[in-house]
Amino acid sequence: MKRLEPRHWIFVGLFVAIGCTMLLKIPLEIPITDQTQKMYDYIESLPEGSPLIISFDHEASSLPEIKPIALSILRHAFRKGHKLIGVALYAEGTLIGYRLMQETAAEYDREYGRDYAYLGFRPQYIAAILSMGESLEQTFPQDYLGNDFQDIEMLRTIGNYDDVAGVISIADGSLTTHWIEYGGGRYDVRILAGVTAAMVTTYDPYVASGQLNALVAGLRGAAEYEKLIDREGGGNRGMLAQSTAHLYVIVLIIIGNVAYFRSRRKGRG
Amino acid sequence: MERRLPLLVCFVSGLLMFIMYFSSHPTARLINLTVPLYWQIVFAFTLIIGVASYLRNNVRGIKKGESRPYRIVSVGGFVTMVAVAAIWGIKADTPFMWIFENIQIPMQSTVFALLAFFVASASFRGFRARSIPATILLITALLILLSRTPLGNLFDFLPDLADWLRNYPSMSARRAILVGIGLGSLTTSLRVIIGIERTWLGGDK
Repeated sequence: MKRLEPRHWIFVGLFVAIGCTMLLKIPLEIPITDQTQKMYDYIESLPEGSPLIISFDHEASSLPEIKPIALSILRHAFRKGHKLIGVALYAEGTLIGYRLMQETAAEYDREYGRDYAYLGFRPQYIAAILSMGESLEQTFPQDYLGNDFQDIEMLRTIGNYDDVAGVISIADGSLTTHWIEYGGGRYDVRILAGVTAAMVTTYDPYVASGQLNALVAGLRGAAEYEKLIDREGGGNRGMLAQSTAHLYVIVLIIIGNVAYFRSRRKGRG
Repeated sequence: MERRLPLLVCFVSGLLMFIMYFSSHPTARLINLTVPLYWQIVFAFTLIIGVASYLRNNVRGIKKGESRPYRIVSVGGFVTMVAVAAIWGIKADTPFMWIFENIQIPMQSTVFALLAFFVASASFRGFRARSIPATILLITALLILLSRTPLGNLFDFLPDLADWLRNYPSMSARRAILVGIGLGSLTTSLRVIIGIERTWLGGDK
């Protein structure tokens, strides 16, 4: 049998570390960050029945991180009785978005067409964002299920961004930037986002400048949001796995550096 | 004429869209609504070119015997998805979406999850304090990583320090990059609109 290389042991170690912590179900104490609180406060502050656009701007690969973020925001919005309009600017996010909305709407007995609608995907995101700024109906003459725009009760009063309280972009890449630049910049619509942890620093300048109104970041953000809405979900559980992986990487970095300095000292000797 | 006409179209379109962006006149709004719709249609046609190119390369590869099994799976998957979409459509609860939900999503998530293993291995081998800049990067990375774990809450100063690192050194560097990109895009766009930059037309002239 071929001997395992150090990297293979690292892989095994990570698998065992994450597996064990998941089995132990250790409760985590996660303080709420300002940005997550801002998202919560904004949704909370809106009058019941406020229309919000939820844009699923992600691919399937990031679903384990994106899903807890999207679910917690959707649950909060549905619980508050807001009218949600789902769109997708990445083809892969189309069905995922629809399923997430369907799932959360059912939890709160929300009805399709009256409490939420799903418009689906449009190609070329910049064109789609600009076009929605002029007319949602022209951009999406039919919804994802093939119903005419005007046949959907809650959409009859929605013309463009002027008629919605904001856009929440659920993204795993830089697509939220286009929402900020074209939706926020050109049409002055309020932009909020839930993004993967890797994208947080990309959006920091926009948060600081106020162009991005709130940011729920990664699994930690999802876990914080779950705490705020008092509803357990994948964020808290995922956070456990992620924290273990982070600690494991920290230990590896320390071991790697100790080994490096020892070998350097030996080399000098 | 072969080159002047595209240059003229580019100049007029570029200038028009630039002006439209800042105007709320009803005509401007109509143009703002119509042009993105055409843009989307043009984009959809570029996908056809991509698909045709993908198929041609893979079929050619299969004939030559280059990575044949992978290419057969790839083309087979492509043809299956097109056939399933053509027969039952692409809405929710169709076979197309069943394949997407039960094959594509788990496969993509699996590949993405494998990154964690490679990051762990790479951080062990690559994150070394070999020089002062490397040491600064290493310490910063350790602080940020620790601050993102519940253990970071044990040290009162750590979340604030991590926020400071993100809000000042990291953000100033990112802002500088963003401003650079913005100015670069502006200059390139102007060069294209005015007609100084003509490489998009193809050819050497």
